[in-house]
Amino acid sequence: MKLRVDYKKCEKAGECYYNHTVLFERTDNGFPKILVEDLTTDALRHEAREAIEVCPTGAISIEE
Amino acid sequence: MSAVEEMIKERLKNDIDPREFDKPEFQRDPFPLYKRLRDHHPVYHDRFHNRWVITRYWDVDAVFQNSEAYTRGIYEEEGPYKFGSRHVFGPNILEYGRGDRHRWLRNVIAGQFVGQKLNDFLPVIDMIARELIDKFRKDGEVELVTQFSHQFPIRVISNMLGLPREDENMFVGWYQALIAGLGFGGVHLARGIAARNEMWEYLEPLINQRSKNPGEDLLSRIIAAELDGVKMDMDEIKGFVALLLAAGGDTTDKAIANMMYHMMYTRPDQFDRVKATPDLWENVFTEMMRYDPVVHTQGRRTVNEMALYDEVIPKGALVLIYLGAGNRDERVFKDPDTFDAFRDDLHMGRENRSGRYKDGKPGHLGFGMGQHFCMGYAMARQEAVLACAYFANSLKNIRPKFKEHAGIFSPNIDSGGFRSPAELWLEFDPE
Repeated sequence: MKLRVDYKKCEKAGECYYNHTVLFERTDNGFPKILVEDLTTDALRHEAREAIEVCPTGAISIEE
Repeated sequence: MSAVEEMIKERLKNDIDPREFDKPEFQRDPFPLYKRLRDHHPVYHDRFHNRWVITRYWDVDAVFQNSEAYTRGIYEEEGPYKFGSRHVFGPNILEYGRGDRHRWLRNVIAGQFVGQKLNDFLPVIDMIARELIDKFRKDGEVELVTQFSHQFPIRVISNMLGLPREDENMFVGWYQALIAGLGFGGVHLARGIAARNEMWEYLEPLINQRSKNPGEDLLSRIIAAELDGVKMDMDEIKGFVALLLAAGGDTTDKAIANMMYHMMYTRPDQFDRVKATPDLWENVFTEMMRYDPVVHTQGRRTVNEMALYDEVIPKGALVLIYLGAGNRDERVFKDPDTFDAFRDDLHMGRENRSGRYKDGKPGHLGFGMGQHFCMGYAMARQEAVLACAYFANSLKNIRPKFKEHAGIFSPNIDSGGFRSPAELWLEFDPE
């Protein structure tokens, strides 16, 4: 399972990188950078699902 | 004059006396001092109040964004301090500076105030605005602050929490005492804590009942929230409710009054256009949050020494970030001292915690930024916009009752130091 960000949908709200610092990092232009792409553990997958929930534009997804 | 004296005079030309911060002139109109700070002292060491002051837009942004270096927390999480014991709300996220506990507590409810969850609540927001306006619709005049804006957000939030509607009047009284206790010590703090205790006593049986029979309401969700199998204890739940009622109520209350004030007194020439297109209240909200937001300053503490311009802020120092000053930075906004709901150099839409927008424009700093960005930002905007639009369109020919107005100022002793008009009398054609 891989973590994805659709940068066309992303509005730089920042909810992912302020809330889920394990998975995302803030870049200077406000877009998130993915820190862990491969969701290898339950904890990471749980974290990713929470990030999907808080994203206001639905830009985050998990690729099966 | 000797050469030395002349040198001293030259150096002190732009000096700032720190007691200016305490003067009534500053409370009425802080903007001239903000400008002198931005121009001559971008990092100002206020030795009298033992603090450091930051006022330029991009410096305010940088401090907000760097919550690792500038912490909001005052006490150590594992230290001797019992969280909530000296805070008028009780234990609440405002006291937790950083770390997982803060993030978790915040996330328990942050999602309730945005997106679909907020949309679900629009009919309630609408209903409450209608109820309040119906009470004075026939009078032909209204004092907006006491008859409307003090009443409105508190009733919305207590509805979201699922508190009994017949008890709303009690919450209106309690929250005003809490807010007064927040900003000032002494008798205000004592009254605030007394109100909190009364409210807590009222809440306890409700909390017990909801934990046995949870509903769809926000209170039930707060009670049920878990982190690693641990729930909030009774005091934390009560602290959270106090925070929501007071912080969520008061700031939106003042935002509504400020928006109407600006349309009545600052830019009456823009009012007709706004009235004709109610979506433009979104612009009025945004520009109000830039021009003179409810909250002007936030405090942080340095975790390490910070070098900034030609100053070094020592470790553990109190840093005051004046977002109210950053918003007037002429390095960022054209004619910053002009209120213009149609300015094209400000991001007008909904705010981001990151402060970065795809339209490339800078946003206002009124909600803060970063880790501690206002949790209720979307709800505050939604409530304020709906309330003003409904107010302006359901009452005919709204106009100020008096030609002169004392203006927006701070701190009103009952306002926790936030900025708003003390009263705002309006007239309209009675129905």
